[in-house]
Amino acid sequence: MSEIELKPVGTRILTAKDNIVDIIVKYAEQNIGPDDVVTVAESVVAITQGRITRPEDLKVSFLARILCRFIPQEGSLSSCYGMQSAMDAEGQLRILFALLLGMVAKLFGKNGVFYQLAGEQAPLVDDVTGTMPPFDKCLVYGPFDPNGVAAEIKRRLGCYGAAVADVNDLKRAAVLGVSAGLDPQKLAHILIDNPFGNASQRTPIVIIKNYAQAERRAEEQA
Amino acid sequence: MEFLMIVIILVIVVAIAVWLFIARQGDAEFEFIVGQRTDFILENLTDKAATFSCKVPFINKGSQGGTIMDAYPRHLLPYEQFDGVDVSSRLELSTAPRTDNYFESVIITQGKGGTVVITVTFTAKKGGIQEALGQMAELTVDMAIDIVYQIVARSLWYIHKTRMIMTCDEIMRALQAKGTVESEES
Repeated sequence: MSEIELKPVGTRILTAKDNIVDIIVKYAEQNIGPDDVVTVAESVVAITQGRITRPEDLKVSFLARILCRFIPQEGSLSSCYGMQSAMDAEGQLRILFALLLGMVAKLFGKNGVFYQLAGEQAPLVDDVTGTMPPFDKCLVYGPFDPNGVAAEIKRRLGCYGAAVADVNDLKRAAVLGVSAGLDPQKLAHILIDNPFGNASQRTPIVIIKNYAQAERRAEEQA
Repeated sequence: MEFLMIVIILVIVVAIAVWLFIARQGDAEFEFIVGQRTDFILENLTDKAATFSCKVPFINKGSQGGTIMDAYPRHLLPYEQFDGVDVSSRLELSTAPRTDNYFESVIITQGKGGTVVITVTFTAKKGGIQEALGQMAELTVDMAIDIVYQIVARSLWYIHKTRMIMTCDEIMRALQAKGTVESEES
């Protein structure tokens, strides 16, 4: 019985002219079997959906310029452009109240409240330098309808399942969207070592080989 | 009325506190230290073209990290001043060399810096490049190069220029150092 194997797939640089499902068919179809799960990097899905903007194109509000100052400088929302992007995606008031409540929660020793309340797009915004050239000069939002993208990948490829994942080298993995029947937490655990690599734009697809077999085996043993 | 006054005072106090916080926090502040650049050295020489390079250190001397989103050299050699050569120039990080004249955005934390390599190629419009550069030296033509860089940090993005001068004497010294031109002393 085969073990789970992670197989990164390289592509050319993808742009808003590409359809991510067509790209997976083109570059990976021959390696995908019925027991496999296809995962794709969220920033690349977002790029193919045209969900990018340039700092030069953003109209930055006074509020964004103030609120960004309260985000630690390692965060994507620490620049006024990252903050404005989050505000454009989730609304100014929502970000304002999330930040205020996050500050209060921090006083009581609870971290992460801001990102819990700020909406799903807020933690997904990548500031400039967040992706590889030529998108290093752009802010990249989170993808639109990741569950729908995953379902479409599964339908076109005939694989066991598909997922859209946000993984980095800091051992942080989040699965944003899955096709029906997959467990996002389990997939995040499998992807924790970032098989997409640093330059996830070069290998934006990772095939989890033999996933269904491993799952069946685990069920039998349970 | 009293309640309104309390609200107004509170708003003013919060505004001052936020302003003080931001002022104390500061921002990134980049400097390309052209005064500490290396001399240009000759990298490549053909009959028609000569390529020189130098290294320029930079630093983020501000109190916050910042991103150099773009940087490029802008050479300034109008034909009114000297019409014997075509010039091209490019800039790259010494730690991330590339030849496509694309500057990949880079985050520089406060107090840290790096080095850029500026490469300049002169191509003779007529005849040989050594002859053309010799004429440039005879006319004592120095060439200004602006390092143009775009910064994104806490505040709004901005583009800044720092000027350096590539002197004709420096060009001749670089050629002489490679033994391609006889120095006056020899």
